[in-house]
Amino acid sequence: MWSYRKRLARDLAHWRSQGWVTADAEAQILKDVASGRGGVGLAPVLAIIAGVLMCFAVASFVAANWQDMPRLGRLGLLLGIIWASYVAAGALASRGAGAFSDAAVLVGSAAFGASIMLVSQMYHINGNPPDGVLLWWIGALLAGVALRSNPAVALAMILVCVWWGMAMNQRNGTFWPFLPAWAVVAAAFAWQRWWPGLHIAALALSVFVVVSGVDFGRGDSHAVVALVGLAACAAALLIERQVPALHDIAPAILGYGFAVAVAGLLGLQFLESPGHLLLIALAAFTLILCLAAIAYGLRAGHRGAVWLGYIGFSVEILALYTTTIGSILGTSLFFLSAAIIVAMLAYAAWRLADRQNQSGAPG
Amino acid sequence: MIADHKWLWPLVAAVALLQSVAIAKIVYDRDALLKSGREITIDVVPVDPRDIFRGDYVILGYGLDPIDGKLIAPDLQETIRSNDPVFVTIRPGATPATWQVVKVTAAYPDTIEASDAVLKGRVTWVNAQQDENRKLSVRYGIENYFVPEGTGRDLEQAVRDGKVQAVVAVGGDGTAALKGLIVNGERRIDPPLL
Repeated sequence: MWSYRKRLARDLAHWRSQGWVTADAEAQILKDVASGRGGVGLAPVLAIIAGVLMCFAVASFVAANWQDMPRLGRLGLLLGIIWASYVAAGALASRGAGAFSDAAVLVGSAAFGASIMLVSQMYHINGNPPDGVLLWWIGALLAGVALRSNPAVALAMILVCVWWGMAMNQRNGTFWPFLPAWAVVAAAFAWQRWWPGLHIAALALSVFVVVSGVDFGRGDSHAVVALVGLAACAAALLIERQVPALHDIAPAILGYGFAVAVAGLLGLQFLESPGHLLLIALAAFTLILCLAAIAYGLRAGHRGAVWLGYIGFSVEILALYTTTIGSILGTSLFFLSAAIIVAMLAYAAWRLADRQNQSGAPG
Repeated sequence: MIADHKWLWPLVAAVALLQSVAIAKIVYDRDALLKSGREITIDVVPVDPRDIFRGDYVILGYGLDPIDGKLIAPDLQETIRSNDPVFVTIRPGATPATWQVVKVTAAYPDTIEASDAVLKGRVTWVNAQQDENRKLSVRYGIENYFVPEGTGRDLEQAVRDGKVQAVVAVGGDGTAALKGLIVNGERRIDPPLL
């Protein structure tokens, strides 16, 4: 928000100097932006944070295994918190306090999880810990969808990831049930049209693909990760051109796909042991991909792509620097060649921009 | 969040009810298993001399592990993998609380001797090579005993001294539930909740 305001102020000054915007309009626009209208208010944020703290209080209550209260009393207390939270959520919603209501649903879902933990503890159950988390994420998703509460659905997505992590600890190979679970929760985000939730979903899926790359079918399979990432990038570019309805989500898909592709390429180069020629080819490809992301980001005004490109580029060259390509002299030669090529590209880009400016064509 | 919606209160009630029912179902099933399951007593052995007490629960070992690979049923020898569900038949040894593994099967065995008990478990690890030294380890879901905060150390010492036995209820399908412990001859068993 802050950076947007600064950028807008700078652009407005330029537009005013060009005579496109009057000084009066500039002042009005800046005043409107400064009022923070449309942004996230402090009260909802604090309400959600209070809800999260309440969740931890309930979880710690269970962990203490406090014996001064009979077991039935402790279970009754937690069930009481579940009911009280949802009734409070309903009451707050009917008074129009949506954010507070969301926080109450979150507390209810957490109390549901705490009840599962308490029952496991009372009966000394430790059969299959992921089963408990499975029940919990289903309960949180149910609450989130039925009561249209975004934070509860976000909790469900986090729990799906915890479930996957616990299951991964128990077995070798990829835990495929993650994918249908992820798809259900992601669909809930889409149905609620909650943009930040889709980012959470994309992040979860990206982490799943990258981590699973280590043992897709029990071997290092970073090539699969890189291909999945590149396919996502290609799909994003296709969507951008061919599917106007989904135009808004294309840049985000591109960003996550690019990050996954670079992670896979880094794995191929530095976790598996390719021969020199393959290493050089992969490194060159990775650097070109990063440059392409930066070029795309600058042209499309997608700052995320620019930054991901810079980060990918930096990680790649630092990793290459610490690996020797044949000999240290070989590494040096690689960097020299790359520097010369990029310098030539910079010159070409500069000439191109110069010519466009002279001919008055749009940049 | 839904606001001023005619389904608001029915939905609130449905969510709270479904979550409560899910919890009640686990409680009901466990209580039924503890009441109706066959009660067996198993000697508890220390599993890890360094740290069996972790926060709020004590890890119990039963001296059944590691299981000799020769006890795996022939049809399971090839296919058995870690995390697979298995049924382990155990038989009383020198004392009624000392049990020995008789066989490991993929399904509940058709015939068992009257003194035998069958426990459903999950393979935690199994050697890949099928030779003389093959071993496997199984968890039965009765390895954690939750204790009130700050009381784990005494129990840990009793486990080390070999003075603890576990009281386990075994259901007709092999599901095992930890009813409680016998510490220095004293039964410490929580009554059924319902």
